[in-house]
Amino acid sequence: MLRTTLAGLRAHMGRLATTVLAIVLGVAFTTGTLVFTDTLERSFATQVMGSMERVDVIAFPPEPDAGTDPEAGPPSFGTAALEEVRGLSEVTAATGVVFGTAPLLDSDGRTLGAFPTAGTSVGGDVARYEAAEGRLPEGDDEVALSTLSAEQGGFTVGDTVSVLDPGGEPHDFTVTGLIEFGLEQSVSYRGAVAFAFGTAERMVEGDGFAEIHVRAAEGVPVERAVTAVAGVLDEAADVRSGQEHGESLASAAGADAAIMGTALLLFAAVSVFVSALVIHNTFAILVAQRQREMALLRCVGALRGQVFRGMLLEALVVGLAASALGTAVGVGLGLGGFALGSEYVVSGTDTPIEPVVEAVPVLAGLLVGTLVTLVSALVPALRATRVAPLDALRSSAVADGLEKGVGRARVAVGAALFLASGAVLALTLSTEAGTTGMALVVASAMVCFVGVLAVSPLLVRGTVRVLGWPLRRLGAVGSLAVDNTLRSPKRAATAMIALTVGATLITGYSVISSSMRVTMDAQLAEQFPVDYSISPQLSPDGEEAPIPDSVAAELESSPLISSVFTSRSASDENQVFVETYPGAELGTDIGNGEVEGDIGDVGAGSAAVGAGTATELGVGLGDRVELESAEGRVSLTVVAIVPGSGGLSGVTTSVTDFESLFPEVGAGYLYVRAQDGTDLKELTEVVDDAVADHPTLQVASAAEIRSEFDRVLETMFLVISGMLGLAILIAVFGISNTMALSVLERRRESALLRALGLSKARLRRMLGAEAVLVSLVGAILGVALGTLFGWAAGRSAFDGMLFALPAVEIAGFLAAAVVAGLLAALMPARRAARTSITGALASE
Amino acid sequence: MHQTSASVRTDPPQEPPAVVVRALTKVYSSGGSSVRALDGVDVEFARGAFTAIMGPSGSGKSTLMHCMAGLDTATSGSVRLGRTDLTTLTDKQLTLLRRDRIGFVFQSFNLLPMLTAEQNILLPAQIARRRVDPERLAHVVGVVGLDDRLDHLPSRLSGGQQQRVAVARALLGSPEVVYADEPTGNLDSRTGAEILAFLRDSARTMEQTVVMVTHDPVAASYADRVVFLRDGRLVDDLAAPTAQTVLDRLVGLEA
Repeated sequence: MLRTTLAGLRAHMGRLATTVLAIVLGVAFTTGTLVFTDTLERSFATQVMGSMERVDVIAFPPEPDAGTDPEAGPPSFGTAALEEVRGLSEVTAATGVVFGTAPLLDSDGRTLGAFPTAGTSVGGDVARYEAAEGRLPEGDDEVALSTLSAEQGGFTVGDTVSVLDPGGEPHDFTVTGLIEFGLEQSVSYRGAVAFAFGTAERMVEGDGFAEIHVRAAEGVPVERAVTAVAGVLDEAADVRSGQEHGESLASAAGADAAIMGTALLLFAAVSVFVSALVIHNTFAILVAQRQREMALLRCVGALRGQVFRGMLLEALVVGLAASALGTAVGVGLGLGGFALGSEYVVSGTDTPIEPVVEAVPVLAGLLVGTLVTLVSALVPALRATRVAPLDALRSSAVADGLEKGVGRARVAVGAALFLASGAVLALTLSTEAGTTGMALVVASAMVCFVGVLAVSPLLVRGTVRVLGWPLRRLGAVGSLAVDNTLRSPKRAATAMIALTVGATLITGYSVISSSMRVTMDAQLAEQFPVDYSISPQLSPDGEEAPIPDSVAAELESSPLISSVFTSRSASDENQVFVETYPGAELGTDIGNGEVEGDIGDVGAGSAAVGAGTATELGVGLGDRVELESAEGRVSLTVVAIVPGSGGLSGVTTSVTDFESLFPEVGAGYLYVRAQDGTDLKELTEVVDDAVADHPTLQVASAAEIRSEFDRVLETMFLVISGMLGLAILIAVFGISNTMALSVLERRRESALLRALGLSKARLRRMLGAEAVLVSLVGAILGVALGTLFGWAAGRSAFDGMLFALPAVEIAGFLAAAVVAGLLAALMPARRAARTSITGALASE
Repeated sequence: MHQTSASVRTDPPQEPPAVVVRALTKVYSSGGSSVRALDGVDVEFARGAFTAIMGPSGSGKSTLMHCMAGLDTATSGSVRLGRTDLTTLTDKQLTLLRRDRIGFVFQSFNLLPMLTAEQNILLPAQIARRRVDPERLAHVVGVVGLDDRLDHLPSRLSGGQQQRVAVARALLGSPEVVYADEPTGNLDSRTGAEILAFLRDSARTMEQTVVMVTHDPVAASYADRVVFLRDGRLVDDLAAPTAQTVLDRLVGLEA
């Protein structure tokens, strides 16, 4: 039996080629992701450890207690502490590091980024960092920039940059070098400006040292140096070996890599699932085609079990071989992807990154590929055992091509699943937005998908009939294509369902994305109809400087501006978000889309509440809401419920009530609303003038906010499409394979059509139309499912989500499906057209 | 048992023959060795006549038919259908020629399984985007006796009925010649006799030229004339055959 199987495999290798390809792709994605993640983790580690090699011991000041005065600034070591460390016999050298804020200005003279850049000292006796490019700063007028800041500001070595000193005065420096700070602290997102020690003390806010770096004396073990240093410092100080610190940084970074790996694996799972569908279809078709072969085996004495095992063995060999290939490709992809993508993930490093190929990804790839192939082949193998020995003697080639209708059981199962899915969906829609809702939508979608799977042949028949109507008008080629698709709806259904998976996910995402965009636009226009918002630069410790009143005054004096108002916000004792809008006319300037009540009624003693917060607090219109802070407490009547996702998410109170709770909190945001019909350019000048003296203020226009938001959504869309692209590619291979197998099966028919005068070109067109039909049905089904569940997911994730059908994207998907169908038919159609008529007529 | 149904044409056709084959040679070569399937065949097929081509296996009878039908290309020599020399045509022209001027009946797999009997009959017309005269369709369907089976799929038709559909399809477009390749090979003798009678009758009543390849002397006896091939050469020509005369000639060939 083994020999028969292997001989059979050799004979059918060509037919399995696309299956192998599908397995290879799915496995390659899985292994590639794992290798990529491993290598990424290793490279994080290498990078961090590299910078820590030059430091034996690192000491951090004690964490401030909750009770200490917040005015005291971040904790630090004094000069005395540094001197004591230097005096130790176990220590050769020690350097104190100044660390704080030193806002770097961009070429327009505004502060760079949403957070001010960090300022730090570099160099000294124990220099942790080296310049990745250029050299470290030495003189008074020299700085080095972190690679991130240099990239953001477009600065290179030799440029002149301005940095604000603690008093807010700009000073000019020459850039001498770029430093790769790697994963260290907040520098990785804020960026940094590095000075020579003396300059840093002058330019960086705060005093003392944020870190002390120590090199141990010759022959002194690191542990002894750690103990000695800890002995002279504050006992609450955190003293550890450089290696230990590096490891903890690396593991934090490794956690990030793991999250990214999990996300990638989800997409890999989709690809593997689609591969499984493709493999299943291939084996099912092969079994159908080899019915006589199986029957002959049974005639000459093979037991059912032997036939079954033979089929599974075939699947095992194919699965193993393809998985091995896929694993190899995956390792290559993972490493290649890392080489290409590392620049974005781990910004430039001088330590060469060594590829990491561990046993786990390789074994996982082999196992996933082989198991998926085996499981996919199970049902076809069972079907093979049901072939009666007598079938070998019948020539039922004509009847073979047609299958019987869809069984009642399938319809019943499908209907039950649809009902269940609908019920879960209805439940979701009646509950509030939140994670439970999302989980329910996903569950409902999965149940629905299984339902679709069950009745997919029916769906194919229905959709193809409708799509086929115009196609039939086009003549014989169109008619034949429609009839061919309908002759075996089960086969067409499995081929197209693979595409449906990808189409559903991608449509679902675009529905959510376009709905979010529309919702955001509508709410900005309705809830915050402002043209500009001005905010202080965020501070890493959460303490932002308030916006100077002079800015508001200057803006108000301009005739172009109709209103200027500010916002103040804070959380009360129970973490309820409280906000107020001094200067704003509620209901006109902000908030005009209330769910209930009227926000214009908010005055002393009353409040408007965001829908989400109202649910959390369990209050409705007319109820009272209690707020409490260290300074006082108020009880307010709810006079309006607002959608909540447009900015008024918490409790909006009158200024009086807010001040009785939080007298200290100043203006966090300043909003500007222009007179109707104001030229945007003139308005921009007025706003720029008003903030000219305050370089740290962040100015955002509504248009900018929108375009920024759009850009984020678009990037996400591209990334997700890319990830799903592979699943879609596999599905196209599946359709191509189904076509190729059908073409083989229909050699005689093709020859007959050619004999009757169908030209090669029209034969190719017929097969092309067939593949396009299959992929279009798959895509249409996917678009329908994706739209439904995208809408449901959006609704359950965000309150007041407006639905927007991404018509352009959907048209694009359908067009892509047509192209995919044509591509899938390319090879099979060429092959069919090339077949000699006489040869095919003569063969059985 | 069919001797009586054979008959001699009393007035030989005066018009030019439907198909003229001159010095036709077909050499198949594969991997160094070459086989001469046809070796200089000269033969003519009269318009409106029913001719059978006979010969032992490997005599080249199928190859001859394929070359005459534009399904295969000859190595040298010429095949003329009316005024057209098939050997000068491109693949595309051959396709159009088959579509518009030739009808086919094969031994099996004659029909597309997903089309009904009527759709199968109309298929060539549909491929050619030709209008079908409903009267002609009714006439042809009537002749082959398929009136009540038109909406059946091939899987629900008997082998004989399937061949009748194929004959109706071949006759519908009144092609210049109908080629039948062992049309009764898969049928029992009674059903086979019916099909052969259709072919013979249509040649007579509709003036339809029919060329049939067969190895069955009884089938050949329905024809007006039988030509014999052996080793790729035309070796004998028999007018007004009976099963017995055909069998005698065949035995003579084998000797």
